[in-house]
Amino acid sequence: MGAGLDNPFVLWFVLTAALAGLAYAGIRTELRVRATLYGSFLIACGVALWPPYDQVGKPGKIRLGLDLRGGIHLVLQVVTDDALNATVDDAVQTTREQLQRKAIVFRDVQRADAQSFRLEGVEPARVKDARDVLKDFFREWEVREAAEGRFTVQMGEPFARSIRERTVKEAIKTLERRVNQLGVAEPVIAEHGNRGDQILVQLPGVTDPEQAKRVISKTAQLALKLVQGETAPTRDALLQAHGGRVPDNMELVEGAGDQPGQPVFYLVRREAVITGRDLKTARVGVDENNQPDVQFSLNPAGADRFKRATGANVGRRLAIILDGRVESAPTIQNQIGAEGRIMGRYTTQEADELAKILRAGALPATLKYLQELTVGASLGRDSIRSGVAASAAGMAFITLFMLAYYRMSGVNAVVALAANLLILMGAMAYSGATLTLPGIAGVILTIGVGVDTNVLVFERIREELRNGKGVRVAVNNGFERVWITILDTHATALIAAAFLFQFGTGPIKGFAVTLVMGLIANVFASYFVSKFLFEWVLGKRQHQTLSI
Amino acid sequence: MEFLRNPRFDFLGKTRYFVTASVVLILAGIAWMARPGGLRYGVEFSGGTQLVVKFEKTPEVDKIRAAVESAAPGAVIQTYDEPTKNQVLIRIAGVGEDELGALAEKVLQALRDGYAANLLKEHSAEIVGPVVGAELRQKAIQLTVLGLLFQLIYIGIRFGGAVWGSAATIAAFHDVLISLGFLAFFGFEITLNVIAALLTLVGYSVNDTIVIFDRARENLRQRRKDSLATIINDSVNQTLTRTLISNGTTFLAVLGLFLFGGEVLRGFGFTMVIGIVVGTYSTIYIASPIVVWWQERGRKGTGASTTTSRAAL
Repeated sequence: MGAGLDNPFVLWFVLTAALAGLAYAGIRTELRVRATLYGSFLIACGVALWPPYDQVGKPGKIRLGLDLRGGIHLVLQVVTDDALNATVDDAVQTTREQLQRKAIVFRDVQRADAQSFRLEGVEPARVKDARDVLKDFFREWEVREAAEGRFTVQMGEPFARSIRERTVKEAIKTLERRVNQLGVAEPVIAEHGNRGDQILVQLPGVTDPEQAKRVISKTAQLALKLVQGETAPTRDALLQAHGGRVPDNMELVEGAGDQPGQPVFYLVRREAVITGRDLKTARVGVDENNQPDVQFSLNPAGADRFKRATGANVGRRLAIILDGRVESAPTIQNQIGAEGRIMGRYTTQEADELAKILRAGALPATLKYLQELTVGASLGRDSIRSGVAASAAGMAFITLFMLAYYRMSGVNAVVALAANLLILMGAMAYSGATLTLPGIAGVILTIGVGVDTNVLVFERIREELRNGKGVRVAVNNGFERVWITILDTHATALIAAAFLFQFGTGPIKGFAVTLVMGLIANVFASYFVSKFLFEWVLGKRQHQTLSI
Repeated sequence: MEFLRNPRFDFLGKTRYFVTASVVLILAGIAWMARPGGLRYGVEFSGGTQLVVKFEKTPEVDKIRAAVESAAPGAVIQTYDEPTKNQVLIRIAGVGEDELGALAEKVLQALRDGYAANLLKEHSAEIVGPVVGAELRQKAIQLTVLGLLFQLIYIGIRFGGAVWGSAATIAAFHDVLISLGFLAFFGFEITLNVIAALLTLVGYSVNDTIVIFDRARENLRQRRKDSLATIINDSVNQTLTRTLISNGTTFLAVLGLFLFGGEVLRGFGFTMVIGIVVGTYSTIYIASPIVVWWQERGRKGTGASTTTSRAAL
């Protein structure tokens, strides 16, 4: 078969076109053409829908929302200020190096806030040179001079925005890699909302939400830094040992001590020997004491730096810092090349998760949870059951009522209703729209709208008959007169649904989608299919009466 | 079968009583909602933590309370859904100090430790930070108002006059207010699902109004001599069977949703049940009288004849 013919809607279109051709060639009854058209469309919907729910070896065509199949839905905020801070820190570092290289004396250079840094106390004779350095290296920044020798360098807004955007994009990529490691089928990871810093993560069918959250949110910024001097049990004690303040180019980091609950404080060099970016891969291993650890290997550039640093510092301690906490600080025994290990008294599962995260790479910024929705699988199944029970009850009642009240025309209404549902479900299956629990409520409301359309038409036909019109005229008038009303009612309902859609994600969006598709399907089914059915019945013989 | 044949009720003649009843009902609802705790928001709007925990055996609420109390003082604990499902709902105001979800984890752990006799089988959690809650609240109000506004514009254009659109919109607004009053009175929380129901309700109410207005428009074209009040009253009568059957069946369908749809859809079902009834009523006793009243007022004010003011419709 040619390309696309296995696609039911393409098939329908081809069939329709062929039929149109036949009609043109001279099929006499207009009715027969419509019968084939409508019939083939409904068959196409059935094909698109089959099988609707999971069967052995075949996944169901209707995609169920998290609230029905269980899973986890997270809205995360990327703290993009983190990335700006890091950029400014880099700039401070560059400034310091460049000024020192040019032998320009200055008192201090440090970050002022997330988007700017200050350079102070430049020796009067070299202010011009300093200005040139700043202007040269920070073209996308704004260099201001508050006083002689005092500079404020501010990141331009477009530049800051581009960093924020890039950070969110990078975070999404990292999350995708991490979720892959978790082995989740059909995950959704996408930007969320219109503030530009939120990410939506949907993991259907995840059974251990806690693990998923740990793997997702760990920033996993790994840095190996050289330890300076001795450690101390408190921050103050450590500061006292260094004259009360943190020395330049150093920083204070906390880590776990030998006893649980007792921290140890380290003074480390600010500049990292290697970072997570230098990792080639990471895997779980065991150390000499049979304790699980995480072993990593470095890319060539990282290995080169690691080799030099360890060679020059044998006997000193190297702190392995993960997300701002010292995991371990082994003493460098000898020069190390491309391999290393992280020991941190891990359980096997913890080591496994850490290795996964390190492989997937670090997040460019911290993530904050804004919203979490976890649905247990069996609770989701309960929801399906009650939703189906409620729709079945509604369906059964409406069928009985329509048959009792409108008799043979009621059959007509029920057929139209079935067509409506078939089109709705077929369209949902075909477009990959998600059915949520409120979506099931939307299906029930669609049934209601369908009945309304039928009732509108039927009552009008009855009225025409009462006014003494013939059967055919009554049916024609009935359909014709309510057409405008049906258009108006559907249009206003569509407006309401369109606003529901604006709620963004999750169950309510599912409701809006179902409602919109249901409304459109209804115009076709309850008006056109129903009209056809009337004409078909009336066309067979000369009717003097109509069962309505 | 036929329920009513050529009904000829004088709907508009009794407008006064019904409008009074509506106003009283709305004011009572607003007063009820204005009380502290009168209108309760679901966790998605108020922010906080809501857990649904499924146990292996029948849960004992007082033991659960004792276990949870240490981790989260003041938590609301109640059985959830049908008792045979062994489910308990735990509602806590906060989300956890450092990290969203920390509090939920603490509570679950407290249950595992402090109520070990009954195994915790599964749980669902909804944890909403304060930022998202506030954003969503604002969005819900915004979207409801905008939805109404756009429907007003649509009807205004379709009927060639602001009267019809305004009347339908006022009726829809009336329905939302009364439904909110009922929700508050019966202690239902305002959740996202309820908001969805309210917006759907707006669509339904307007839909119902349009059916009658369309009929009135048709009658206006054919019967040039009758007064607008007569024509609208006749239109209500002519569409009465349709109103009863359509809204009756939809009412029963959403009643099924309310009764069998499970705990999650209970609020949705309730809103729709109330809304369908109120929406039907408001079309007849709120929307239609407004159009008549507006036209008559216009005639008195400008001294123009009925025919000219009708021609302007």
